[in-house]
Amino acid sequence: MYLKTLELRHFRNYTAQGVEFTAPKTILLGDNAQGKSNLLESVELLATLKSHRTSRDRDLVQEDETSGSISATVQRDLATLDLSLILRSGGRRTAIRSGEKLRRQMDFLGALNAVQFSSLDLDLVRGGPGERRTWLDTLLMQLEPVYAHILGQYHQALKQRNALLRQNEAQTAPTDRAQLALWDAQLAALGTRVMRRRSRGLARLAPIAQDWHHAISGHTETLTLHYAPNVPLEDDDPTIIQAAFLDKIQQRAIAELHQHTSLVGPHRDDIEFTINDTPARQYGSQGQQRTLVLALKLAELNLIESVIGEPPLLLLDDVLAELDLNRQNQLLDAIQDRFQTLITTTHLGSFDAQWLDASQILTVKAGQLLSGFTHA
Amino acid sequence: MSGDFLPFTPVAGYRKRLLIEWKFCVRRLPPIYARPLARLIEELQKLPGVGPKTAQRLALHLLKRPDSEVQALAQALVDAKSQIGYCSICFHLSAEPVCDICRSPSRDAQTICVVADSRDVIALEKTREYKGKYHVLGGLISPMDGIGPEQLSIGQLVHRVNKDKIQEVIIAISPTIEGDTTTLYVGQLLKPFTRVTRIAFGLPMGGDLEYADEVTLARALEGRRELD
Ligand SMILES: Nc1ncnc2c1ncn2[C@@H]1O[C@H](COP(=O)(O)OP(=O)(O)OP(=O)(O)O)[C@@H](O)[C@H]1O
Ligand SMILES: [Mg+2]
Ligand SMILES: [Zn+2]
Repeated sequence: MYLKTLELRHFRNYTAQGVEFTAPKTILLGDNAQGKSNLLESVELLATLKSHRTSRDRDLVQEDETSGSISATVQRDLATLDLSLILRSGGRRTAIRSGEKLRRQMDFLGALNAVQFSSLDLDLVRGGPGERRTWLDTLLMQLEPVYAHILGQYHQALKQRNALLRQNEAQTAPTDRAQLALWDAQLAALGTRVMRRRSRGLARLAPIAQDWHHAISGHTETLTLHYAPNVPLEDDDPTIIQAAFLDKIQQRAIAELHQHTSLVGPHRDDIEFTINDTPARQYGSQGQQRTLVLALKLAELNLIESVIGEPPLLLLDDVLAELDLNRQNQLLDAIQDRFQTLITTTHLGSFDAQWLDASQILTVKAGQLLSGFTHA
Repeated sequence: MSGDFLPFTPVAGYRKRLLIEWKFCVRRLPPIYARPLARLIEELQKLPGVGPKTAQRLALHLLKRPDSEVQALAQALVDAKSQIGYCSICFHLSAEPVCDICRSPSRDAQTICVVADSRDVIALEKTREYKGKYHVLGGLISPMDGIGPEQLSIGQLVHRVNKDKIQEVIIAISPTIEGDTTTLYVGQLLKPFTRVTRIAFGLPMGGDLEYADEVTLARALEGRRELD
C-alpha cells in the first residue's frame, strides 16, 4: 500500500498543511520540536486510531482550536481510499472512509497499515507488562480489525465489573453476588476471546521475530516470545479456557472484594522476551535491547504483509541514528523499496549517500513542510 | 507623603486577588444576550443533541414566532410533563394509570416483549408486526451508572409473568455489554416460569454476507430460526 497524500488541519502544531509523497522513502528533516513526530503520529492515528504519545484527543487538536483533522489518500492494490479522521477537543471523533461516515471505528481500521518504530519502543523490553500488551493489541487490531471491537467489549465489561466491586465496598448482599456472577460470565467469555487472539497472533509473530533476531545478532542469540496469560491457557478450547477463567475468579474472590478491582483476566497478561533462556530485561545491554526491538518491528512488517497481502508503511521516529551501522543496514536491506517508509531526523549525516538520492526530503519547520533542504 | 508610595512588595495571596479582580472584570463585560434570551438558550442547551449553536438558532426562531404559538408550545411542555406518567403494569409512558396497549383486548395477553426504554416500544409499534404486550425496564444494568437490577422494573416483570400465566417472554434488548448482561439476568429469573426468547440481531436488509463482520455474523447465527 502507498500513502499518496496527507493533509493536516489544526493537528498539533500544523495549521493547514498538505503533502504529497513522491518516493518510497521520505525523510523528514528538522530541528527539535518542529513537528516531525507529530506528522508520523498523524499517520499512526490513521492506521491504528491510537497515538502512542497520548490517549486524549484534546492533546492532538491544535491549541486554541476546537477541532482538527487528518486526511489521506491511500493507494491499495485494488482501489484508492480516501480517509479522514476528525478530532475534537471536547467530543467524539468522526471517521470517514471514502466519503462515508463510519459508525464503528473498527470499520476504519485496516484501510492503512503501519508499523511505528521510535526510541520509546525500547520500553517494550524495559517497561511494564502494560506496554507489551498495548503493543500486541495494536498489532492485532491491524491484522484483524474485529479485535478492536472484542477488546473494547472486554474493557467495558471490566469497567462495569470493577464499578460493581467498588459498590460492594461496604458489604455483599445476596443480590450483588447474583449480579457479580453475571459479570464474571461476561468477563470470562470476552476475556477468552481476547486471550485466544493474543495467543494466536503471538504464535505467528514469534518465529519471524526469532529469525530476524538470529540474523541481526550474527547467529549467536536465540529470541523466544512467550505469551504469559494471567489465566492459564493450556488448551485452545474456549469452554476450557472459560472454565479456567471462572475457577481463577473463584480463587481470587476474597482478594477482589478487599481490593475492589478485578484481579483476573487478560488485562493482567504479559509477554515474555527471553534471549538464550534469560529474560531480556535482565540480560540486555542497550544494544541487545535495540536488536530485540528491531527484530520485533521487522517481524511486524512481515506478518502484516503476509496477512494483509500488501506491505504496510514503516514509520521510523529518530531511531535510525540510534542504530549502529550493522543494524542500520539490516533494517534498510529489509525495507528496500517495498515498504514505504517515513523517517524523521535532525541531521542527514548518518544517511548513506545512495540512500539520500533515492529519498524525498522534506524540511519541517514550525508546523510547515518545505520541499528539499538547504545546507546549513 | 512618601508613605503613600511604598515600593511594591508582592505578598501572599496577591496573585489570587489579582485573579479574582480579573474575573470580576470579565463578569462585568456587557453580556452578548439579553438576560431572558440567555436563559432560554441555556435551558435549550440542556436538551439531548442540542449544542450552543442549535440552541441559539432555536431561541431566535422562537422569538420570531407569534405569541400564540409560543404559548402553545409552553403549554404543551407543561401538560405533557404533568399528565404523562408511567403505566402501572408495563411502565411504558402513558397518560392513564394503565396504558392503551395494556388495556387493549385485541392484543395477545400471554406474550410480553421486554425492552429497555419507552423509545423501543414506539419503534416496535411502528413495525405493526408485534401483537403482544410490553414491559419497559427503564434502563439497563450498569454498575458504572449506579444502576442495578433493583433500579429497574425487573421484580415487577417476574411478578407479572407469574400472575398472568405468560407463555412467552421475548427480550428485545440491544446486544451491548450492558444489554447482554441485563438479558442474561432477566432470562435466568424467568426461565423457571416461562419460555424466554431473544430477538435476532443480524444482517441488515440487503446486506452482503461477505462484508458482514464476524461479530454480526455470530449474532445472526445465534438468532437463526427455522425457515417458514
Ligand atoms: N496541540 C498542539 N497545539 C500546538 N502545538 C503543539 C500541540 N502539540 C504539540 N505541539 C507542538 O509541537 C512541537 C513538537 O513537535 P514534534 O514532537 O513533532 O517535534 P519533533 O520535530 O519530532 O522534535 P524532536 O526532534 O525533538 O523529536 C512542540 O513545539 C509542541 O509545542
Ligand atoms: Mg520527535
Ligand atoms: Zn402498559
